[in-house]
Amino acid sequence: MVGATLPISIVELLLSGAIAQSGHDAAGHAAAAASHAAPAAGSLGAVTGTLPQWTLLIPFLPLLGCVLCGVCAVLKIRNKLPALITVACLAGAFAATVGAYMQTVGGSGGGGGGGHHAQAAVVKAWDWISFHWRDNPSPSAAPDFVANFSFYVDSLTCLWMLFVTGLATLIGLYASEYMAGDLKTAGYARFYAAFCLFVFSMACLVMGDNLLLLYLGWEGVGLCSYLLIGYFYKKPSAVAAAKKAFIMNRIGDFGLSMGLMLTYVQFGTVEYAKLFPMVQGYLDLAQHGKMSEIPWMVQVIPVLFTLGAFGKSAQLPLYVWLPDAMEGPTPVSALIHAATMVTAGVYLVARFFPLYLCSEWALPIVAWGGALTALLAATIGMAQFDIKRIMAYSTVSQLGFMFAGLGVLGAVGGASHVFTHAFFKAMLFLSCGAVMHGFAGQLDLRKLSGVAWMPGWKIVTLAMFVGCLNLAGFPFITAGFWSKDMIIGDAMGNHGLQAIGWILLFTAGLTAYYTFRVFFRVFAGPVEYHPGDEVHAHADDHGHDHGHGEHAKGDETHDGSESRHASEHFHPHAPGWAINIVLLTLAIASFLIIPLVHPFGKAENTGDGHGHAAAFWSATMVGSSTAGVEPPHAEHAKFLGMTAHEGAMYASIAVGLLGIAVAFVLHYVGRRTAAVSKADAIRLGGVQTAAQHKWYVDELYHFLIVMPLRVLSHIFHAFDKLIVDGLVNLLGWMPRGAGHTVRRTQSGVMHDYALRMAGGVALIVLAIWFLNTPAGDGDDGDAQPPPAAHASVERAEGVEGVRP
Amino acid sequence: MTQALPSTMLAAVSMGEKFVAMWPEAFLFITTCVVMVLGLSKSLPVRRMCAPLAGVGLIGAGLIAAAMTPDTLCPLPSMAMYGKVLAAGIGLVLVCLLAGTVDRDFESDVERTGWFDVIRSKRAEFWAFFLFSLTGLMLTAGADDLILLFLALELTSLPTYVMVAISTRRDRSMEAGVKYFFLGALGAAMFLYGFAFIYGGTGHTGLQDIQREVRAQVDAGGINELTMLGLVLAVVGICFKIAAVPMHFYTPDVYQGSSASMAGYLAFVPKAAGFFAIMLVVSCAGWGFGESRAELPGMLRDVLWIIAVLTMTVGNVLALLQSSVKRILAYSSIAHSGYMLVGVIAGPGLDGRGGEFTRNGLAAVLFYLLSYGVMTVGAFAVLACLERRSRDGEIEEADHVADIRGLCKTHPVLGWIMVVSVVGLLGLPPLLGFFGKLPLFTSAISAGEIPLVVILAINSAIAAYYYLRLAYLCYIDPPETSPNLAPLRATPFGSRRVAGMLSAIGVVVLAVVGGKLADATVTAGRYIPPAGQTQQPERAADDDAPTPEHVVAPH
Repeated sequence: MVGATLPISIVELLLSGAIAQSGHDAAGHAAAAASHAAPAAGSLGAVTGTLPQWTLLIPFLPLLGCVLCGVCAVLKIRNKLPALITVACLAGAFAATVGAYMQTVGGSGGGGGGGHHAQAAVVKAWDWISFHWRDNPSPSAAPDFVANFSFYVDSLTCLWMLFVTGLATLIGLYASEYMAGDLKTAGYARFYAAFCLFVFSMACLVMGDNLLLLYLGWEGVGLCSYLLIGYFYKKPSAVAAAKKAFIMNRIGDFGLSMGLMLTYVQFGTVEYAKLFPMVQGYLDLAQHGKMSEIPWMVQVIPVLFTLGAFGKSAQLPLYVWLPDAMEGPTPVSALIHAATMVTAGVYLVARFFPLYLCSEWALPIVAWGGALTALLAATIGMAQFDIKRIMAYSTVSQLGFMFAGLGVLGAVGGASHVFTHAFFKAMLFLSCGAVMHGFAGQLDLRKLSGVAWMPGWKIVTLAMFVGCLNLAGFPFITAGFWSKDMIIGDAMGNHGLQAIGWILLFTAGLTAYYTFRVFFRVFAGPVEYHPGDEVHAHADDHGHDHGHGEHAKGDETHDGSESRHASEHFHPHAPGWAINIVLLTLAIASFLIIPLVHPFGKAENTGDGHGHAAAFWSATMVGSSTAGVEPPHAEHAKFLGMTAHEGAMYASIAVGLLGIAVAFVLHYVGRRTAAVSKADAIRLGGVQTAAQHKWYVDELYHFLIVMPLRVLSHIFHAFDKLIVDGLVNLLGWMPRGAGHTVRRTQSGVMHDYALRMAGGVALIVLAIWFLNTPAGDGDDGDAQPPPAAHASVERAEGVEGVRP
Repeated sequence: MTQALPSTMLAAVSMGEKFVAMWPEAFLFITTCVVMVLGLSKSLPVRRMCAPLAGVGLIGAGLIAAAMTPDTLCPLPSMAMYGKVLAAGIGLVLVCLLAGTVDRDFESDVERTGWFDVIRSKRAEFWAFFLFSLTGLMLTAGADDLILLFLALELTSLPTYVMVAISTRRDRSMEAGVKYFFLGALGAAMFLYGFAFIYGGTGHTGLQDIQREVRAQVDAGGINELTMLGLVLAVVGICFKIAAVPMHFYTPDVYQGSSASMAGYLAFVPKAAGFFAIMLVVSCAGWGFGESRAELPGMLRDVLWIIAVLTMTVGNVLALLQSSVKRILAYSSIAHSGYMLVGVIAGPGLDGRGGEFTRNGLAAVLFYLLSYGVMTVGAFAVLACLERRSRDGEIEEADHVADIRGLCKTHPVLGWIMVVSVVGLLGLPPLLGFFGKLPLFTSAISAGEIPLVVILAINSAIAAYYYLRLAYLCYIDPPETSPNLAPLRATPFGSRRVAGMLSAIGVVVLAVVGGKLADATVTAGRYIPPAGQTQQPERAADDDAPTPEHVVAPH
C-alpha cells in the first residue's frame, strides 16, 4: 500500500456512505478473500438455496410502519391509528417470516431426520458498501470490502424471526390498550414509531448477511431500547435508566466492534457466506485437538464478541442496566427487555458458534459468565418486592441459563430456551403489566393480594399461572421445563464443566421459589389492594417506586375485612379485550410449543450425552444452521448413575417442585394480609438486606469506576483549563493578530489597491524568477517546490526566445 | 509555420460544430434582447415579465447545453457542457435572488405619479446585463481560443460593473462600481498582456494548438520563456475574477457597496468564469510534468501554489475581524478561491486514474464551484431578505452581524437557511460543502501535494471560527433590539426567500444525491493531453499510451 492511498481509502469509505456509489459487482470477491488464506474450505454457512424477494418484507414492513407512525406523529393524529398500522405491519412481517420458514426448512422441520439440512439463502435488498483501496483499482476488480444490505436466511434466522415478529405483533396489540392513557399526547405515535423501528433493527441484527449489518441492527436495537426506556422522559429515574442502559451497552458494543474489525483483518470479509467456509478450516483443526495451531487472533475474536453479547444480554458484569430498564412501559419490557433484544447476545454466540469452538477461552467464559449471572440474579430476585423487577432479575437469570447452555456446548438447549423463554417471559411481563395498569402503577407485592379472586382478572391469573409454571420449570407439561432441562443436562454431561451444572440446578430451585413467591402473594391469598401513585397522573408517570405512601392511605393494615382497598375512590380496572386476547394466545402458545422443544422419547434412545441431537423441531432448526457444527468430541460424564440428561431431568423435577413447595409454605399458607407472610419470620440479617440491595453491585461500580473517573476528569479539566486552553487561545490569537496586521492593506482607497495589485504581480513574477534560477539563491523559503518540478523549466534556460 | 497548417484545416472542418456549440449562448442572447425591450415598456405587467423571461431563457439555454457534444478542439472537451448547465442552474437561483434589486422606489413613484420616465428606469438594463453576463460565463466555459476566452471573460465582467453601481441608490454602490471597474480593467490588462505573450511564445491562439506547441517546445528542451511569462501573467490576471491574492483587494469593498443580492451574484458568476478560464489557460501547458508526469510545469505550479496559499490564508484571517456579514462572506469568497486553486494544482491525476472523483482535481474544482455557488447564494439571500428603512428613507439591507442575531427565533426560515449555508461553507460532513472539499483534499493527496493539504486543513480550521460565529449568532444568541435602529422586517420579494430555500435545500439534498453530480464533474474534468505524449519513455513503458477514450471516466 502506497502511503497516499490509505487516506483516500478512508475518505472513500465516508464517501460511499453518503454519495451513492454505483454498485460494484460483488461476484468474484472470493479472489480478495483468498489472499487471507483460509486453511481449508467447507460447506459451513454456504448459500445453498434461494428465497423469493418478498422475504425482504420481514425487515421492511416494520420500517414502513415506523415511517407511517412518524407521519401520524407529524400529522398529530390522536387515535389508535398508529397501533393499527403497527399491528398490521408486524403481522405482515410475521406472515412473511412464516413463508420464509416454509421455504427454508420446508415441511420437514418437525419430524425429519437428523441429517436433514435446511437451506440457507441470501436475499439482497441493495448494494450498500463496496469499495477498493488497494493499488491498481481497476473498476472491474473485486472490491476489497463488501457489506450489502442483504439478508442471510437459514433455520437459525427463522427460529429467531418467528418469535420476534410473532411476539412483536401480539405485544403491539397489547400495547394498543396499555398505552391508551397516552392517546391524547404525542407519545402514542412516538411509542409505536420506536416500536416498529425496534423490530426493523432486530430484523437487521438477526437477518443481516454480514457483520456490519448485524452491527447496524445491534446499535439500532440499542437506540430503540434507549428511546423506549426513556419513554416517560419527564421522569428523572426513567431518563437515568435509559442512560444507564445505553452506556452499559456501549461497553459491550466496543467489544463487538473490535471483534468485527478483527474479523475483517483476519478473514478479509464480513459476509457470513464467505466467512464461515474460512472458519471451517480452523474448526477442523479444533476438532482434531490442534488448538495451538489456530492463530491467537481467531481465538480472540469470539472473546470480544462475548463482551458485546454480555452487554446486550445483560450478563455479569454488565447486567445492571436491565433491572433499571423496567422504567419503560411494560410492553417494552416484555418485548425488548425480556423476549427479543436481550437474546441478541445469545444469537450472536449461536451464529458464531463455529468460531467459538475455535477458541480455547471463549466458551468457558460464556459458560461461567452465564452460570454465575444466573445464580447472582436469582438471589437478588428472591429479595425484591417490586414484581416487575423480580421478573427483570429472572430474565437476567434465564439469560444466564442460555449462555451457560451455549458455553457447555449445548447450542440446541440454549437456543431452545431462548425460544420458550420468549413466550413465557413475555406472558409474565404482560400479566404484571396488566396488574400495574389496573392498580395504578402498583407493583409492590406487599400491597397487592388475591388478584385471582377479583372480577375480570381470570385470564390474567391464568396467564400468570402458566408463565410461573414455565419459569419454575414445572415438570413435563411446560415448555420451559424441557428447554431448561436440556441445558442442565448438557452441563452435567460436560466433563470439565459439571460444576456449572450444579450451579444451574441450584439456581433452578431458587427460580421456582421466587417465581411462586410472586404468584402466591399477588394472585392468591386474601383480597387486598392499595393503588399505586398513578391514580391521578397516569399518563405522565408510570412510577412504581414503593417508597411512596401518600396515595396508599391504607398502609396500616386492616385485618379481617374483605376488600380493604386504600382509597374509596379507587377501583381497579380489569384489562380489556386486547390484553386478554394477547394473554390467552400466549398461554395457549406456550403449551403448543412443547413438542417443538421436546427431546424425550427420542433423546434417551440414542444413549449418549448428546441425545437431543436427535430430531425434534428446535434441534433441527439449530442443527441445520451455522450453530449446528459438531463440537469436539469429549467424554460425557454420568450423573446420578444415569445418562446426564436423564439424571438432570429427575434432579430438576425434584428441585423445581421443592422450590414451589417452599414458596407455598412461606407465602400462602396462613397469610392473612398482603404485607406479611411467614417468610418475614425468617431473619437472614445482613444477607437479606444485601440481596435486597442487589448485593450493592451498583454501589461497587460507582465506587470502582465512576468515582475514579470523576477524580480523573477533574484533573484533566484543570489541565485542559490551564494548559490546553491557554495554547488554544494563543493559537486563536495568532490569526487574529495576523488579521490586524494584514487589515491595514484594506484601506478602501482605489489607487492603493491598484498599486498593491501591480506590486503583488511584480513580487510573484520576481519570486518565480528567483525560485527557478539554477543557483537557487533567491529562495524565500515560503514556497519550496519539490526538485522534480524544476526539471522541465531548468531546461528552458538558454533556449532562445520568440518562435514566430 | 508548418505546425499551423493542420490546425487551420481542423478549424475549418469544425466550423459548423462551433456554431452548434454556441446554441445556448445564442438562445440566451435572443432572450436578452427581448428582455431589454420589454423592460422599457410603459405597462407594469409587461415590465414585470423581465425576470420570469430571463428564467425561461436560462432554462432553455441550460437544456440546449445539456444536449451538447464535447468540443474536440479544447484540452478540456467536456467542461463546456457542465459549465453551461451550471451557469444556467445557478443563474435560475440568482434570478430569484436578484428580484427587486433595482427600480423599487422608482416603481412606487410611477404608481404615484402615473408617469413612466424611461430614462430613470433601470430594470431593462439590469436584467439585460444580467443575461449578458451569464452569456459571457457560458462562452467562457466553452472557449477554445484565447481571443474568444478574452472576449467571453470581458462579456462576463463588463455588465457586472454597471450592475454593481446601480444595485442600490446609495453612493457606496457608485463607489463600489467605479472601484470594481477600474481595478477590473487593470486585471483585464494583465491577463490580456499574458495572452499576448502566449501568442508571442507559441504563435497560436487556439488552445489545442498552443498545447501542441508547448509540447513541441518541451520536447525541444523546455518551455519558451515568453510562453511561460504569458501563462503566469494570464493566470495572475485572471486571479482578479476569482478574487485571489494579489488581485483580491476590491472584493470586500465591492461586496459591501453593492446590494446583498448583487453580492451573491458577484460571489458566483465572475468566480466561475475565472476558474473556467484558469483551467483552460493552465491546460494549455498541461499536467504532464514533474516526476509523476501529472504535474504542472514547475514555474506555473509555483505561481499557483503561492497564490493558493496566500489567498486562503489572507481570506480566512481577515474574515475573523469583520463585523459586517457581507465582508465576512467576501473574505470567505476569497478563501474559497484559494481552496479551489488547490484542485487546479492537483490536476486531473494520472491518466489511468483520472476517472475517479477523488483523484481528479479538476472535477473537484467543478464540483466545488457548484457547491460554493449554492451555499454562498443561500447566505447572501438571507441578507437580501431582511431590510429596514433607515432614517434617510432609503431601504437598508441587513449587514451588521448584530442584524442576524437570534434570526432562528425571529425569522426561523431565514435563520435556518443561514445556519445551513454557513455550516455548509465550513464543510461539516453531512452537508454539501464537505463533499465539495473532500475531493480537493484527496486529489491533492493523490498528487503528492501534502504541504498544500496541510495548509488547506489549517485554513479550514481557522474558517470554522467565523462560520460558527455566524451560525452561533443565528441559532443561539438571543435576538437583539437596538433602540437606535428600526427593526428588520422581511423583504416583500418572496422570490428571494425562495432563492434562499432552494439553496438551503440544495446544500442538504445535493449532498445526498450527489453521486450523479460527481460523475458529471468527472466527465467534465476530463483532460486530453497533447498528441505528442508518446515521446516520454517512462510512460510508454508503463502502460500503453492513453488514447482519449481511456481517459474517459468509467461511468
